[in-house]
Formats: sequence, C-alpha cells, structure tokens
Amino acid sequence: MDLSDRIERFRRIVREWARGLYHGLVTHPAYEKIEKEAEDVEDAFILACFPDAFGIPSPVSYYTAELLPFLEDEFEAWERRLWDRGTYLERKGQQYHF
Amino acid sequence: MEPFVFFGGKGGVGKTTVSCAYGVKSARSGLDTLVVSTDPAHSVSDVFEQSFGDDPQPVDGVDGLSAMEIDPDTEVQRHLNGIRQSLSDQVSAAMVNEITQQLEMAHQTPGAYESALFDRFVDVMRESDPYDRVVFDTSPTGSTLRLLGLPEFLEGWIDRLMHKREKSIDLFEKAAIGNNEPRRVMDGDPVLNRLRERKEFFEFAGGALRSDAAFFFVLNPDQLSVNETRRAIGEMADNDLAVRGLVANKLTPEPDDDEDGRGARYLRDRVNTETERLAEVRETLDPPLVAEIESRTAEVKGSLLDDVADELDVETAAEAPTFVG
Repeated sequence: MDLSDRIERFRRIVREWARGLYHGLVTHPAYEKIEKEAEDVEDAFILACFPDAFGIPSPVSYYTAELLPFLEDEFEAWERRLWDRGTYLERKGQQYHF
Repeated sequence: MEPFVFFGGKGGVGKTTVSCAYGVKSARSGLDTLVVSTDPAHSVSDVFEQSFGDDPQPVDGVDGLSAMEIDPDTEVQRHLNGIRQSLSDQVSAAMVNEITQQLEMAHQTPGAYESALFDRFVDVMRESDPYDRVVFDTSPTGSTLRLLGLPEFLEGWIDRLMHKREKSIDLFEKAAIGNNEPRRVMDGDPVLNRLRERKEFFEFAGGALRSDAAFFFVLNPDQLSVNETRRAIGEMADNDLAVRGLVANKLTPEPDDDEDGRGARYLRDRVNTETERLAEVRETLDPPLVAEIESRTAEVKGSLLDDVADELDVETAAEAPTFVG
C-alpha cells in the first residue's frame, strides 16, 4: 500500500467521522426538535378537534368527527403521546440526550 | 322579496300556522313554494292534515305547494352512518373501535341536533332550484337564533383549525432530512381538504342567509311575547341579520258595542290590553307590524288557512336568488 492510498483511506475515515459528529450534534437534534414541535402542534390540532375526549363538550365535534377517518394514525399517536407525557417539561426535555 | 323566508318566534305563538298560511298565499299567487319545518316538534303535518317526511311532498288541494319536515334524529344518524362508511373504507379494523367511540360521543353532544338541522336546511337552500320560494318554519327563538348565528362562528373555527394543521404539516415537511419522506405532506392532505369543503359550506350558508333570506317574527299580543321578540331582534342584529317584519297572531276579536254580557266585558278588557301591547310593538320595535291575525275559534286548517293568508300583508313576489345558484 503506497502513501497516497493510506492518505485516501485516512481522509475517508475523517470525513465519515466528521459527518457523523455533525449529524449527531447538529442536524439530528435540530430535526428532532422540529419534528417534536410538529407533533405538539398536531396534538393541539387534535385536541381542538376532539375536546370531548376529555369531557369538554364542543359545539363543533359533530363536524370534526368527519375528519376521524383520515386521522387514524394521528389519533392513535395522539392518545399514546398523551398517556406518555408526564409533564410538559419532560416532553420538552426529551430532546436533550444526557 | 327574497326567495327564502324564515318565520321565527317564541314557542306556541303560531309560527307554523303563519308559515303555512304564507306558503299557501305564495302558492296561490303562482309561485312554486316549499314549506320546510325545522322544528323537531313538527306540526306542519297537523295543519295540512297530511303526513310529510324528509323529502318534499305536494300538499293536497293546493297547487304548487309542497312541504317537508326535517327530523334531526334522522339527520344525525345519517351523518353518523356516512362517517362510519368512510371509516370502514379507510381505517384498519383494529382502530375502528377506538375511533367509533369518539365518533358516537361526537353525535351525542348538545350541538349535534343543531348542526344536523343546520346542514339539512342549508342543503335545502342549495337545492332550492325547482322552487321559487322556500318558507322555513323554524323552531322556537333560542335555537333558531343559534342556528342562524352558526356560519360566522364556524367559519372562524375552521380557519383556526386549518391554520394549526398547516403549521404542523409544514413543520413535518421541514423535519424530513435529505431524502427522507416527510410524515405528512401539504399537497392533497385529506384533512385539509375536508376542512376546506366545510369552510365553503359555511361560507355558502352565511352568504345565502345574508343576501337571499328575509326573516319575520311571529308574536302574540302579551308582554312575555313582546319582550322575547325585542330580545330576539337584538340578537339577530348581533348576527348582522335584519328582521323584516312582525306578525301579531291570536288577537282577540272585539265584541259589538251594544253587547254587555260577561263574555263581552271580558273580550273588551282583553282587547284593551292587547291594543296597548300592539301600540308598544309599533312604537318601540323597529320592524313594521305586517299582519294582525285574529284568533279563531277552531284550529287553523283547510279553508281557514286561506283566510289567514289573506290577512298576511307580506308580499309574495319572489326574486331569483342572488347568492345561491
């Protein structure tokens, strides 16, 4: 193996590590944050659609019920997230991987 | 006058009688007329002595007049079944139970009846093509006002929902890194589409009520009825809807001057009270009194309906709808 090959291999490893580090430290947390925020907004949306799931009568749930067939996944995930969420702080804290 | 005419008022003042009489009057003047009862306690059938259902049916003996009665129970059930149908088309069997529970809850909320009635009467307005005039015999004041106030309220609501949905989809799209498929996409999102359809429906309803409908209140010449009418006019104004006129029903007939029996004295006293009330209506309420209908000794039906129709000083000529169509 000559020198140029060894340099080439070294550079490849460095590039991979750099990309991994950048992804783990910067991009992934950022995207995760956005996705969590998206989920939060979606939760608010579904809560606004179906407050009667919590015993709050809503004059519009008759209309929002029409959305249920299209909200299958969201509805299930929503319920799961609501059970899962101890406090708002905990939810917001999940993005920091200590 | 506008093609859609609504008669409202306190319970028991004779809205059904007046709407039916107006229906007869319109039909007699050559208009194809439909009388629609949106009161869950239907009595159009009793007035015409004929049973009506959810679809318009011609009224026997009056050419050009049809009638229908909207049953909120049936409407709620129909709505529920419609959603159930699309549920079984779209949703995996495991989730159906979960969602069905939510669905049934939504159809037992206090607003369900009102929403169902509202949907149906907007449909009637939308499909009013074969008729020149549609007369709505509404349920007593409170719920009718809420019905008429719905479109604006709901439009705002739908707007906020759409905004939330758009925001979450937007974030999901942004969260999709590189070649990853975003969890939701804005294009052709079925939820947004459904919301948009609903919004158009409410916009249509609001527009039709504001530009193609005339409202009349029926009242009796007593203090309770006058007070309620005053409040109702105020609430209509809050919803940007103007009341076109008032109909005084069940006025006591005056006895002849030479009579002085107990009955005659009773009638005279009663007439005095009523004259005061009517004066109050004329002076303090804005919409003009368009008809004064004397109380009858028999129930108003058959040929009596024509007499009542004659006393109604409400024009019948119908303009073509400007908004609907």
